[in-house]
This record gives sequence, C-alpha cells and structure tokens, in this order.
Amino acid sequence: MTAIPQDAALVRITDLHKGYGAHIKVLRGLNIEMKPGERVVVIGPSGGGKSTLLRVVMGLEEIQQGSVTFAGKPYISAEGSKTRIDTEQRKKIGMVFQHYTLFPHLTVLQNLTLAPRKVHGVSRSAAEDRGRAILARFGLDAKADAYPSQLSGGQKQRVAIARALMLDPQLMLFDEVTSALDPELVAEVEAVILQLASQGMPMMMVTHDMWFARNVASRVIFCAGGVVVEDGPPEQVLGNPKEERTREFIDRVFHIKG
Amino acid sequence: MELDFSILLKFADALALGLWTTLKLTVLCVAMGTALGFLIGLARASENALIRIPASAFVEFFRGTPVLIQLFWIFFCLPLVLGVELSNLASATIALTLYMGAITSETFRASLRAVGREQMDACVALGLPRSVQILHVILPQAVLRAVPTLLSNCISLFKESALVSAVGMADLMFVGQNISNNTARPIEVLTAVACIYFIIAFPLTRLVTRIEGRMLRKLAA
Amino acid sequence: MDYTLDLGAVTRNLGPLFDGLAVTLQLTVAANIIGITAGFGLALLVLSRFALLRLPAMLFVEFFRCTPAIVQIVWFFYCVPMLFNVFLDPITMGVLALGLNLTAFNAEAYRASIQAVPREHLDAGIALGLTPAQRVLNIVLPQAMRASVPVLLTNGIGTFQQSALVAIVGVADLMYQGKTLATQTYRPIETFTIIALFYLAVSFPVSQLVGWLERRRGLAAR
Repeated sequence: MTAIPQDAALVRITDLHKGYGAHIKVLRGLNIEMKPGERVVVIGPSGGGKSTLLRVVMGLEEIQQGSVTFAGKPYISAEGSKTRIDTEQRKKIGMVFQHYTLFPHLTVLQNLTLAPRKVHGVSRSAAEDRGRAILARFGLDAKADAYPSQLSGGQKQRVAIARALMLDPQLMLFDEVTSALDPELVAEVEAVILQLASQGMPMMMVTHDMWFARNVASRVIFCAGGVVVEDGPPEQVLGNPKEERTREFIDRVFHIKG
Repeated sequence: MELDFSILLKFADALALGLWTTLKLTVLCVAMGTALGFLIGLARASENALIRIPASAFVEFFRGTPVLIQLFWIFFCLPLVLGVELSNLASATIALTLYMGAITSETFRASLRAVGREQMDACVALGLPRSVQILHVILPQAVLRAVPTLLSNCISLFKESALVSAVGMADLMFVGQNISNNTARPIEVLTAVACIYFIIAFPLTRLVTRIEGRMLRKLAA
Repeated sequence: MDYTLDLGAVTRNLGPLFDGLAVTLQLTVAANIIGITAGFGLALLVLSRFALLRLPAMLFVEFFRCTPAIVQIVWFFYCVPMLFNVFLDPITMGVLALGLNLTAFNAEAYRASIQAVPREHLDAGIALGLTPAQRVLNIVLPQAMRASVPVLLTNGIGTFQQSALVAIVGVADLMYQGKTLATQTYRPIETFTIIALFYLAVSFPVSQLVGWLERRRGLAAR
C-alpha cells in the first residue's frame, strides 16, 4: 500500500452534482471529506442519492459538476459536458454491489483471479494461492471450484468481497450489500466486513441496518435531497442527532413515535 | 381403402439415402450459418452505421421473406447474376446457410444484450479493460445463453431443409414424394416421411428445454 | 453479367401478381382466425389434468412443431382426400393445412404465457377468496393474453411466409403466380426479386410492431 500522508484526505468530494436526464437531480452540491482509516456509513431516505454517491466514487457514473480527488490527487472531474475519470486512480478502489454481480460462467476461484491475472499480470499460480488464502480467511475454502449458482446469497456476497480484496484496494465501497439477503445470512456477511474494519480497511458504505451501522462506522453521514444534512460520529448522528431532518428519519427507522 | 405399410420396406434404402442427404445438408449449413450468424450479430452490435445498417438489412430481408423464395432466387437467379452454373447442392447450401446466418445473428444479438448492466459495473469496479470485459465476461456468457436457441435454430433448419426438394435436390422429402408418386401410395409413404422427421426433431426439442433450464439456473447467479 | 434487367416484363404483368397476393392474404387471414381460436382451445387441452385430453393434444402440437411445414402441406393435399373422401377447393385445403399448423404453434404460445403467470398471483387470488373460475378469468387470462400477443403476431406472420408453400401443390398464391410469370417471361431475377419485396412489404411492418410491443413490455416489467 502506498503511504498516504495522515493529514491529507483519502477522498475529497467537492460540490458534486449528478442527475439523470434534464429533470431528475439526484446529487445537488454534495461535499464530503473522508480521512484515511475512516469507515463512513451513509444513511438516509431512499432516493436521497446514497447509492449514486457510491457509484460516482467508483467511477461508474457521469457527473454534471464538481470533482473527486483520491489520495490527494485528481480522480474525477466534470469538464463541460464530459466527465474525466482517472482509471489508474479507479483501480485503487474496490466495490461490492447489492446483487453480488459475480460472473456466473466462472468458478469462485476464477472470479477471484480474473482481474489480477488479466489486469495486473499476476501469474495463475500466484493469483490462485492468494485467492485460496482469502477464501480460507472467509471460511469459503471448500467453495473454490463451485459456480456462483451453487452458493447461498451470503456465500456469494462473501465471494464478491473476496474478489474485490484481491486487488488490494485502498478504499472499499459497500452498496447495500446485505439488502438482498435472507435475514439469517446477513450476519455472515457483516462479520466479514467487521473483520476488514478491525484490520483498518477504509470503507464507505450504504446500509439500512442501523445496528450494523453503529457497530462498523467511525463516522455517519445523513444524506437527503442530494446534500449532506448531518455528518458526525455514530453516537451523535444515530443516537442524538442535531438536525431536525435527521432526528425525524432516525425516529421513523426505529419506530419511535415523537 | 387398404393401407399397406410393407411397401416402405422395398424403399427403405432410397429413403435412407434421402435422409442422409438431408442430414449432411443440415449439418453443413448449420456449421457455416452459425459462423456467419456470429459475425453478423457482432456487425449488428457495431457502433459504425456503415457496418450495422447493411447487416440489419440482410437479416430483415431473410427473416421477412419466405425461405422458398430465397431458395428459388438463389437457384434461378444467382447463376445468371454470377454467370456460372451452380449445382443443386451448391444453391441449396448457399440458400440455407444465408438463412441460418440471419436467424442465428438474432440469437447472438439477443444473448449479447441479455448480459446485464450490473456485470459491466462489476467489470469497471475490478478495473477490467474493455478487451478483457468482452473476451472473458460478456462473450462467454452470451455464447452460453445462446446455446438453447442455437439448438432450436438447428431444428428449424433441419425442417426448412425439406424445401430443397422443390428445386429437385434428392433429400428425404424429394425421395418420399417420388416414391409416393410412383407407387400411388401417398398415405403410407408421406406419413412415414413425416414420422422420420418427427423422430429426429422431437428428441432434440426436449433436449433444448432441458439445456435451457440448466443454463438459466446457472446464469441467474 | 450478360443479363439486362427489364422490370417492364414484370410491371406489365402486375395483375396476376396482385391476384396472387390477394390469395396469399386470404390464406393468411383465414389460417390466423383458425390458429388464434383453435390454438387457445388446444392450449387448454394441453394444460388439462386428464391425460386422455392432454396426451393427444400434446402429440398434435409436437407433431406439427417437429415436422417440416412442406411435408404437412403435401401430406394434407394428397392424403386427406383419400383418407376421408372429401374433395375441397385448393384454397380451402390450403387454409386448413396452414390453419392446423398455426393452431399447434399458437397453442404452444398460449400454454407458455399461461404457465408464465406467477404462482404467487394464484395464491393471492385464493387469499382474496376468488373462486377457481374467477381466478382463471380475472387473474390468469388477462395476463396470459397480453403476454402472448407478440408471439401470436410472430407466428401469424410466419404463416404468411409459410403460405408460399401451397404454390408447390398448385394453389395460385403470390409465390405460384410469381413462379409462373418467371417461367413465361424468362425474367426470374426481376420476378423473384419483386415478389420477395411484396412479402417483405407485409412482413416487415408487422415484425417492427412486434419489436415495439416487446420493448414496451420490457419497459413496463421493470
């Protein structure tokens, strides 16, 4: 891992605007500064732009205005009607999606080794050794040669996390990774993420699971209407919000009648 | 009216020879037509209008006209256009290959489109360059998805190949009609011919259903 | 090539071609009326709980789907008069042969769309206290009908194209008139090209309509 000066931001999002078509505005001037080692959980009402924010940071979306820097260097910027994305920077970020998005025609191990082999020129045996080691860490050693269709949802999601880790990302993005899972499978995926958190992996995630958010986050951002409404430690934002809109949202989520 | 199916035994050899011609023609045109269809399918997905539009026009033409006319056109007109004699076999092969190319290009195009957007997102998140995306993620899935429909196309071609009897090629249908005319026993002979086609095509359609189920389960992940 | 195109040979003889087109369209429309109605009845038989109804219906469908249409048509024209001692005019024979073929293909289309109605919808119907007949009429059929429209249209246009096969047994359709004209005028290129365009002019708009319907359904399903 390249050393990042402790005072610099890992991700700096400045005045980010993002919409679809002429009329739908999802992000309206969003500013976030994420420091190295932080674990940021983004919460908020649906349609508030949480997932879009993560997709922008992954470099999957065009933006209309603003910029994103990564590790102190330019990463994404809007220039006129075009979006410039530095693909070298993008390679330092990993992402796990709600619907697993494993490659169904490849085995678990092939899913893990595809990118290291084809993008980074790692030899097959080295990539496979590394892959097996990560799978073992996640309790999936027996599944290396299985196809995704033979796995449970929880297993698929753990494989997806393992696949992203193969590239040694400096930031992990988790977009509602437990939302599609049966309740009894949520814990096994959350355990893997907590394991990463305990090892100091910087991460930014969107989740509806407030209990998990409190456990994993070092910082919680409440996003609504395409802007940051409240930003602070989990005890504040989840426990004792300062903003009225945050309080309303948290009350509704925990079914506390005002 | 007395039915006498025993006359079929007398003509078993001729029918077998006709079937052999039908099968040879089908296999030949399936192989060449699938290759052609793959190329046309890619051409139709091209961003270059000069490649895309002629490919689309080709497909619409072959799917929008009766195969019998395509066959007649190639049989009667192509020799005039090219100024060379074409054997029955050559005309039939060209016609059925072009037809197979048109229908399989649709199959390939549909299966290319069926590879979901989320798969592309995953490719970007893994930093896979375009060439790796296409070669290792999109094409393999598209081909797997296409397999059941391609098999259906083969069955269609096997059936359509009976049309070559209309231009005098001695396939199963042609032999059957000849025997039926010469013996004045159309019921026995034509029923037998229909049953031979059925016995070959029916198990293949069952196979398609089974493979389709398996592929969909596998690719649903 | 040493062949000079002469479209005049064809344009002077458009009359017979239009007569042929009228026969072709007549065959197509009549066969579609049979196929759309009888196909639905046959689909219900295929889905029947009683093997005595289901098995013969399935055999009928599979036989038509697994044999060449040209074999069916030749068989029909030669064998039906001998077997049943009925002698009908060629166009009626053509309509029946094409209609039975289309019935089998449409039955399969109806069956697939009926079975594609999610089981949960029937469960919801039971939970709402609908009778079995109400569940079929109000839940299954409306969805199945809508889903089957694109396939029925595709099959219908397929029959339009297959109708060219009746030329082989002497029905004076577009294909037959075209072939006759090509032989009489020694102008195969012009004639076959123009009748191919006739067929295309009918098929193409319908296939575009099917494509549009499917795209709209795809959007609605999202």
